[in-house]
Amino acid sequence: MFVEVTLSLLKGFLSTVELFALTLLFALPLGLLIGLGEKSKIKVISLPLKFIIWVIRGTPLMLQLLLIFYGPGILFGYNVWGGNSLGRFVAALVAFVINYSCYFAEIYRGGIQSIPVGQYEAGEVLGMTHSQIFRKVVLLQVIKKIVPPMSNEIITLVKDTSLARVISSYEIIWAGESFIKSAGIIWPLFYTGVFYLVFSGLLTLLFNYIEKRLSYFR
Amino acid sequence: MKTRCRKIVSLILAGLMTLSLAGCGKQSAAKDVDYIKNKGTLVVGITDFAPMDYKDDDGNWIGFDADLAKKVGEDLGVKVKFEEIDWDNKILELNNKTIDVVWNGMTLTDEVKNSMSCTDAYCTNAQVVVLPQDKADQYKDEDSLKNLSFAVEAGSAGEEAAKDKGLGYTSVDSQSKALMEVAAGTSDAAIIDLIMAGAMIGEGTSYPKLTHTVELTSEKYGIGCRKGSDLTEYINKEISKFYSDGTMEEIGKKYGVQEALIKK
Repeated sequence: MFVEVTLSLLKGFLSTVELFALTLLFALPLGLLIGLGEKSKIKVISLPLKFIIWVIRGTPLMLQLLLIFYGPGILFGYNVWGGNSLGRFVAALVAFVINYSCYFAEIYRGGIQSIPVGQYEAGEVLGMTHSQIFRKVVLLQVIKKIVPPMSNEIITLVKDTSLARVISSYEIIWAGESFIKSAGIIWPLFYTGVFYLVFSGLLTLLFNYIEKRLSYFR
Repeated sequence: MKTRCRKIVSLILAGLMTLSLAGCGKQSAAKDVDYIKNKGTLVVGITDFAPMDYKDDDGNWIGFDADLAKKVGEDLGVKVKFEEIDWDNKILELNNKTIDVVWNGMTLTDEVKNSMSCTDAYCTNAQVVVLPQDKADQYKDEDSLKNLSFAVEAGSAGEEAAKDKGLGYTSVDSQSKALMEVAAGTSDAAIIDLIMAGAMIGEGTSYPKLTHTVELTSEKYGIGCRKGSDLTEYINKEISKFYSDGTMEEIGKKYGVQEALIKK
């Protein structure tokens, strides 16, 4: 029984990890773009981005999932996702990427703004161009500074993936609950916690290692 | 380091096991009636499910099942408290003793009967196919359903019906979510309870453009108690009493389910 449950949960956990990895793959670069755009002096770019961040951070991710998946069909009579499991997964991925990009954007922005103006001025005095200053002076320090808040957000993402079940994109919690429904046994649901713990534990070790490797300028 | 990790993991596992065992409470279930009488309340696990359990304008729970549960509470000499639960977690709630009984138009499936102690059936219901009105004419019999994609509630009688008939389906977390799938076009059709369909779709509801067509299976409603509980027998006796003194008929007529009652 224990082996059977573990295998079934592992299968569910695979979709959890897929959702996690793909969200990071898209949201990390998209977040940087949004973060830079938000700092832009051109109002046409920065204001809409600020509005989007306000909406996305101001509403529950669960609601965003429901709206993105069911919204098009109910509001406009046109279902863009298809009803199969791939369509559900893609809809969940889109919702997660949008949501997490906005949080990442704020982390990037905080990191960039933490660099004192004096360093930009020093760069200009040395005759560097703006993009040179950004790449060679600012970015190196930003990456270092944002690792702790980033790792915090990324570990939150591990657990947030369980929200995908509201649009029936199956993941490990769903797999655990199915044992209650089919066989009346409860412990697999709580056992799922072990998978999350191990995964976030590995991530913590990884981030510790990255922080150590990035301890330049010390 | 490795052995320490292993130790921690096994500790966590052991903790979880005892937690799940403690939740079962098998020894005490046989004296459930005494337990309920002693604490003075019968906690009934329900969902918002007209006409079985729903709220009147003042916010009190009424409905066929709710009224029947109140009658049983009267005879037990305890207060009846209604607790709205996540239907997925009904067995969890029951074993956790946060509720004493699941009484909410519950279909007696094999799954339900395996994990709870259930009363005799008191009501019949059917699983029906729900479709947009403009498509209803094309799907009048079971053979025509083969190419549709269905939404069904996970663990429900509708899911069993879809499985038995070999239909393509996605399980969602509630019957109302299944209806939303049809309205949004993310599934072609849903399979839900006839009683629920009567209340939730058609003119004057949120889903005026949906209708129900084919009846796939018919099924029976029962009441669920903790495994091995003596409350099951108590409710069985109560219900046969309500049949002989006309209470069942009377409440049934009040909520329009008298046709569905199982005559004894």
